[in-house]
Formats: sequence, C-alpha cells, structure tokens
Amino acid sequence: MSDRLLTEPPAPDAAVSPDAETPWEDPSAMVTALVADEADAWDRAGLLPVPLLRELGAAGWLCAQVPVVSGGRGLSSAAAGEFTAHVGSLCSSLRSVMTSQGMAAWTIERFGTAEQRAAFLPRLTGGGLAAAGFSERAAGSDLSAMTTRVRRDGDSVVLDGHKVWVTAAHYADLLVLFGRYDGSGDRGEDAGAVGGGEAVAVVVPADTPGVRVTRVADPLGCRAAGHADVALDAVRVPAGHVLGGSSLPLPLLVTTALAYGRMSVAWGCVGILRGCLTAATRHAATREQFGVPLGEHQLVARHLAELYVAEQTATRVCEHASRCWDDGSPEQVVATVLAKHVSAGNAARGAATAVQVLASAAARDGHVVARAHRDAKLMEIIEGSNEMCQLMLARHLLGRTV
Amino acid sequence: MSSFDTEATEKEILRFLEARTKRPWGTDADLFASGGLSSLFAMELVVHLEKSFGISVRGADLRLDNFRTVTAMTALVERLRTPAGGATDE
Repeated sequence: MSDRLLTEPPAPDAAVSPDAETPWEDPSAMVTALVADEADAWDRAGLLPVPLLRELGAAGWLCAQVPVVSGGRGLSSAAAGEFTAHVGSLCSSLRSVMTSQGMAAWTIERFGTAEQRAAFLPRLTGGGLAAAGFSERAAGSDLSAMTTRVRRDGDSVVLDGHKVWVTAAHYADLLVLFGRYDGSGDRGEDAGAVGGGEAVAVVVPADTPGVRVTRVADPLGCRAAGHADVALDAVRVPAGHVLGGSSLPLPLLVTTALAYGRMSVAWGCVGILRGCLTAATRHAATREQFGVPLGEHQLVARHLAELYVAEQTATRVCEHASRCWDDGSPEQVVATVLAKHVSAGNAARGAATAVQVLASAAARDGHVVARAHRDAKLMEIIEGSNEMCQLMLARHLLGRTV
Repeated sequence: MSSFDTEATEKEILRFLEARTKRPWGTDADLFASGGLSSLFAMELVVHLEKSFGISVRGADLRLDNFRTVTAMTALVERLRTPAGGATDE
C-alpha cells in the first residue's frame, strides 16, 4: 500500500481542518488512487481487501471526525461529509464500512466516559475495525422491540441475544452493541443508582467467547460491506465496557448513535448521485443513436437534468445539516433526518435514471451504475427507512415530545 | 448560582420548549407524561442545553429524569456549569 497513508495525524495543537485544504494531504485523491478500478471486482466478490481497510483506519480516515486529542483527524461534519461523498462515488461498500466505523466511534465519544474514550477511540483510529449493532429479527424500524439482554454480574456484564444486518461486522474487531439492561446482578454500592434508563451500549471485542458472526449471504446492495448477523451466547465482558457506565433511555441512545449514521449515509448517497451523474453524462455525450449523441435527444437530456437536480438538491440539504452539526444547533436532529431522507430518495431515483440512460452499457453486475442502483435502494431502508423518516418529520411538525 | 441565573436558565428552556412544541409549559410539567420519550425530541433537548449553556451532557447525566421537567433541566445545567459537576465524567 502507498506510504502516503502512513503520514502521522496532525499534532494535537493543529487547527481543525474545516475544508479540503488539509495541511497533510488530499484524502480524496488518496482514496481515488487506492480504490482505482477495483470497486467492481470487490462488489462481485462481496469482499473488500482487509489490509486496505486497516491501512485507511490506521491513518484515521475511516472515522475522520474523531477529535485530534483522541487520535483522529478532527474533521468537521462538513469536511467529513464531502470526503464521505467522494468515497461513496467510488464504492458504497467502502463508504458503508466508514459509516459503521464512524457510528461506533461517535457512540463511544458521545456516551463513553473520558476513560473509555481514551481506551477505545485510539483503537478505531489505529487500524482496528468496528461495527454498531441495532437491528434484531423482531426489531427493525421498531427498535423499542429489541430483546438483546445485558445482565450485570458483579464486575462483568453478560450479553445474550441476536443482532441482524450489522454492517461491517464481518470485518470488525470491536462491536458496539445495544441492548436492554438488567442491573439486578450489580453487587456494588451503586446498584440501581443510575436508574431511569432501560438500555445500554456495550463495547464487545468480536473475539470474545460466545460471539458468533455470520455473513448475510448475497445482500442486495453494498455487497462488500460485510453485513453480518451477530449471535450472542452468554458473552461476558468487563462492566467497564458499558458506555458511560449507566443505563439510559433507549430512544435517546439509539437516536443519538443513528444520527451520525444518517448523516454519513446521506453524504454517501450524494456520492452515489455523483458517480451516476458522471457516468450518465459521459455516456450521453459520446454514445450516438439516430445519428446524434444521446444527449441531443430531449427525453435523454431531461434525464441528465433530473440527475443533476437530484445531486445538487441532496448536496445542499446535506451541507445544511452538517452546518447545523458544526454549529452545535439543535436543528441538527431534524436536519439530519431530512438530509438522509432526501438524499436516499434522490439516490434511488437518480440511480434508476442513470441505468435508463446507460441501458445495456450498465446492465451488468459490478458496473458503477448497476452498483448504484442496488446500493441506493438499500439506502432507502437502512438507518431509518423512507417511511420512518417521514413519520419522524411529521412528528416534528406536530411538536410532539412523546 | 444566583437565583437570577436560575430564572434566566428556566426562561431560556421554556422559550425553546414553547417554540418547539407550539404550546405553553409550566416549570414542573412532565414533558413525557403522556407516553414514551420521542427519540428526536430527546436529542434536540440535549443539544439545545449544550449549545445554549456551554455544557457537555455525558454518561449518566443523560438519564431521562434530568430532562423530565424544566426544573430538572435547570438543575442539571447549573450543576454542569460548576467545575467538576459531571456525574461520571471528567
């Protein structure tokens, strides 16, 4: 692998880079060079090269928003978003792994104690790979139905349950798993002192006895993203792996964690649209039918215009949401759902349009536009389906607190 | 904290709540009395308190009881504003 990747992260006193003018290198050009023309083959094989993931991770690029003090790149949401979109334009599977790593890191950063942040975040910026597990067989959109149990037993917690469709779990060294907390086995003085919550997030090394990771066979999209089911059979980890050391309301816990994932998926969808726009424009400018380039046919020209509208609209909505994150505005919560919803829908429609423009030229597995078509459809489902996003937006309008 | 600060904090939280929910609230009204907490609303409250009062709400301080009423949120803000006021962190 290129030794450009091995450059040290910026010194702790280096300014947070708000844009692509990073002092160390151009990460987008680096990823372009690393992915080269391999994304098609990765998609067909259903696997990303692990050394590539570890090397990108060790240079801090799989979760680029982790603060510099924790060994990360300290990118703003806006800068990380543009980087995410670039990766997404090349390979949605690689982008999905970034989303998972970033979501795990964000959960640790947001809910972990200073000690836990110091223990776990450097692993995520040091080449270790991570995934975050929410969904279960009976708990998809309705995460309140999750039954994975985290039972306190003295100085340990014991996990039992079954997570499904955990993105990147196939590659992960660390799993951040969400479950219901049963504190009755706490023998310490603080037993029950941190009540009021019903759920916890726990950092579980994937090689802990009782963890069984099984790949989802032949996923519709992001085929190389390492989606897997995670069975947990009496999995025992130190109680110090419970983030924040306390149980919290499940909705707060999962929504906060998912917010990062939604932002990342939204930018990834901008990338899908950019990949489609580039391919469709090139094809329409060069391929001739009826004696003129396709783009001279008005019905095809309209497809191009609509793709451009979709890409630009998604970009602006994502930029707005990222600005809300970078400003610390509470509007970030709704802006993130809006960005995810707009971007995923635009990507699904845009990718379908791009397939229409390229027609037989893109009608084979592995082609950037064929991948986009499958990957984008999955983005309308993951991290809050279209319908869940619509419900959340409507509840916001109605001023609902519960 | 002086009572002036307390009053200002309460007022700001009420302003946000009323703008967000389009209805008036008393300082001791239970925001979540009629059912489970809305996930988006919970996160908005946390981010709003952090932004408005320059605090960081982490770990066990994120428990629901700290956000149930304006009075509870005001107490949380005042505790976290004082050095080393966090429950489990820093």
